[in-house]
Amino acid sequence: MSIQKLILRNLRNNLKNYYLYVFALIFSVALYFAFVTLQFDPAMNEAESSVKGAAFFRTASIGLIVIVGVFLLYANHIFIKRRSKEIGLFQLIGMTRNRISCILSVENFIMYFGSTIIGTFLGFSASKFIMMILYKVTQVNETASLHFSWAALIQTLIVFTLIYVLIMFTNYLYIRKQSILSLFRVQSSTENQVKKMSVFEMVIGVVGILFIISGYYLSSKLFGGDFTSITEIFLAMVIILGLVILGTYLFYKGSVSFIMNLIRKQKGGYLNINEVLSLSSLMFRMKSNALLLTIITAVSALAIGLLSLTYITYYSAEKTAENYVSSDFALTNQDSGSQFKAALDAENIAYSERTVDVIQAELNVKDILDVQLEGLNFDPNKMTLPIVSDQDVKDVNVSPGETYLAGYANMLQNFMPLHDRGEVEIIGKESQIPLKYQGMLDEPIISSYFTNGGLPVVVVDESDFKQLQEDRNEGIQKSSSIFIGVDISNHGDIKQANEIFNDMEEKFMERSPHFASQLNTSMNQKQNMGLSMFIVGFLGLTFLITSGCILYFKQMDQGEEEKPSYTILRKLGFTRKDLLRGIKTKQLFNFGIPLVIGLLHSYFAVKSGWFLFGTELWTPMLMVMGLYTVLYSIFGLLSVQYYKKVIKEAL
Amino acid sequence: MTILQANKIHKTYGNKFNKHEVLKGLDLSIERGEFVSIMGPSGSGKTTLLNVLSSIDRVTRGTINIEDHEITAMKEKKLAEFRKHHLGFIFQEYNLLDTLTAKENILLPLSIANVSKKEATIRFDRLAKELGIYEVKDKYPNELSGGQKQRTSAVRAFIHEPSIIFADEPTGALDSKSASDLLDKLSDLNDKLSATIVMVTHDMTAASFSNRVIFIQDGQIYTQLTKGEQSRQDFYKDIMKTQGVLGGVQQ
Ligand SMILES: Nc1ncnc2c1ncn2[C@@H]1O[C@H](COP(=O)(O)OP(=O)(O)OP(=O)(O)O)[C@@H](O)[C@H]1O
Ligand SMILES: [Mg+2]
Repeated sequence: MSIQKLILRNLRNNLKNYYLYVFALIFSVALYFAFVTLQFDPAMNEAESSVKGAAFFRTASIGLIVIVGVFLLYANHIFIKRRSKEIGLFQLIGMTRNRISCILSVENFIMYFGSTIIGTFLGFSASKFIMMILYKVTQVNETASLHFSWAALIQTLIVFTLIYVLIMFTNYLYIRKQSILSLFRVQSSTENQVKKMSVFEMVIGVVGILFIISGYYLSSKLFGGDFTSITEIFLAMVIILGLVILGTYLFYKGSVSFIMNLIRKQKGGYLNINEVLSLSSLMFRMKSNALLLTIITAVSALAIGLLSLTYITYYSAEKTAENYVSSDFALTNQDSGSQFKAALDAENIAYSERTVDVIQAELNVKDILDVQLEGLNFDPNKMTLPIVSDQDVKDVNVSPGETYLAGYANMLQNFMPLHDRGEVEIIGKESQIPLKYQGMLDEPIISSYFTNGGLPVVVVDESDFKQLQEDRNEGIQKSSSIFIGVDISNHGDIKQANEIFNDMEEKFMERSPHFASQLNTSMNQKQNMGLSMFIVGFLGLTFLITSGCILYFKQMDQGEEEKPSYTILRKLGFTRKDLLRGIKTKQLFNFGIPLVIGLLHSYFAVKSGWFLFGTELWTPMLMVMGLYTVLYSIFGLLSVQYYKKVIKEAL
Repeated sequence: MTILQANKIHKTYGNKFNKHEVLKGLDLSIERGEFVSIMGPSGSGKTTLLNVLSSIDRVTRGTINIEDHEITAMKEKKLAEFRKHHLGFIFQEYNLLDTLTAKENILLPLSIANVSKKEATIRFDRLAKELGIYEVKDKYPNELSGGQKQRTSAVRAFIHEPSIIFADEPTGALDSKSASDLLDKLSDLNDKLSATIVMVTHDMTAASFSNRVIFIQDGQIYTQLTKGEQSRQDFYKDIMKTQGVLGGVQQ
């Protein structure tokens, strides 16, 4: 047979067997090309500058290269190992190693660059769609139109050519290193791992689980007040990370087989088909992939975690803006207020207005603080807080000598939990006003300018407020002591009002720089978060697909390895259906365990600090996790299909 | 009493243009409790015959009855069901699942047949002791010697008390000592449990353990030898003579 024929035939076989590899390759190219096209698109300049995303984009494209590169190298490694027998045979019949490398290179070249061309096409068609998504999440009102970019094409070609060269080089090294004998031996190496469980492995198994649990436990305490200085918190984070990652590794290395072993012991040797196929196989095979699984789990956890957090921020943008601005529009200057109101009147926009007098005063909160904070930036004996009178707050009446705290943001609530009741004391310049703390009000009264970005507002009775006004400490007052909140009565008018507000910005600025519009604030946050979400999502998706492919490839190998077992089982009288049922159970674990561990990791990571990012935890997190699970399951289902074929061929 | 009856079985491999008829209208009948060896040159169709008899492969034409069930007419699912209850297997290699211990491997046929765990343990203990693998029951196949592995497969083949046991060169990978060990046990069990055994072998010594040897050539039965009352040594000599006439490799 001539070399050309040989190459063509191999190629045909490969395409049939590795369609998923080709798919992944095409997908990687498409994704990268789309991404780079976006980056080079002139329209993007605007979006980029408006959200300062250029550096972000560049970092992301490097991240993309790393993920895709590692994936392609690893996948190639799996495949060359699978073909080692064939390579050994070529050598046996007298082909030189260089000749074989050459054949492989040509074969790969055709497959690789064929996929690259297709990928580029797809990428270009997809980029418009991706652009639309980007515009949507960053709330840019433009129709996506794209131009083919030569620069993007060239960059894509360069990157993938480099990866190709790297792959061929590793193949060359691999073939160089192998002798004919070792090439034949590669495939049967897992057999040696089937041994009785040693005590050491059991210890590893238990330790792994303990590590993970203690990591989770620590993470739940991270912002609970036990760690009070930044260095302590940072140290705790490093320890958590170490515990969880090491724990995950040990979990795969030992715990899985430890648990399976326990279950098996109970059966006393009497296993049904599900147990034969799942328990016994998982016990040994998961161990040998421990490192790979750890990496996949850790990175998926990272991806899910980051995506959840950015989505939480994005999702909570409106709520956060409400907390910060507290009315549709917030002003801190009487003249600015009148001017704005006049402009609204001129346009016939109905609105309501709140004016709140605000005094800054020091408050002794030591008694109601649930934990003792040291090292953080304030002194519980003298916490500077804004004070307002109950007359300025709708539907609230505070008795003299009592007080409520209002608008206490989520984040602070987690940082410094308060008792339900207790004694506080306002420290005036001369005298003190002791007050009974009655609880919290869940309502932001004044804008973040007064609350220093989220501290509670102290609501007191008018008489106490008057008393304090006489005795206030001028040194800590802000430049403005009046909050003017304008709420538009008709929701539909907000956009127009916001335009008026934006037009007047310069005039406001002359008087006092502290004014805000809720709509602007939330849009701003959405834009910022939209881009991060887009990029993290992009990288996460790429990682998900590549790691899913790798797990699938591993399963293909395992299927081939276990084929003789299926032959025996079918001879013994198990039907294909019986076997398939067992395989389904097995795959449930094979894909389910890394998924569940990854989800758990990210859950605890998100749980420990989500309040720093937004106001809503469950909906955004569950949505991200659900999406991830669905996409991930596809690979599990594909692998079951593959096993179906193997089982069919087994007899 | 006849337990297996094969009538005019044909087996053809290949497609329309490239046919290769391996079995050419072969007739065969096996009595209950017999220990039958099948011999013949390499490529003569011994494995093929065993596979069709044991329902792993299908005949092209002809019928096979085992215990009055016509297995050639059964659908795949029913065949699996049939194998589950009536047949036992021992092969040259790839006999055991390498991720299961010896005991787990042996109990597999009972777990499909839904035999109770208690009953399973009783049967296991008896047979495993008989074949001398009780001590290694918790080891994995790669921790067992070749002989132990084959004895394990033998126990597995017997444990669900099948009507008939098929063995394809069970001693092929064993040294002569372990081989005669295994065959001793097999013929022992054949006696005690009056289990029917059909074994394909190249090895004349192995064949001399059975009651009857069938020689195959050209897809037909060439001749048969019955042990009768003679000693194993004499039977061995008979086999050797016939084998000499038959020659080595199928043309
Ligand atoms: N699946 C198959 N497809 C096509 N031809 C086959 C197949 N299996 C066996 N054959 C052919 O059928 C003939 C008989 O094969 P079989 O394996 O039954 O021989 P055998 O007697 O068991 O030989 P050996 O003693 O070497 O094991 C051979 O010529 C072989 O090439
Ligand atoms: Mg054979």
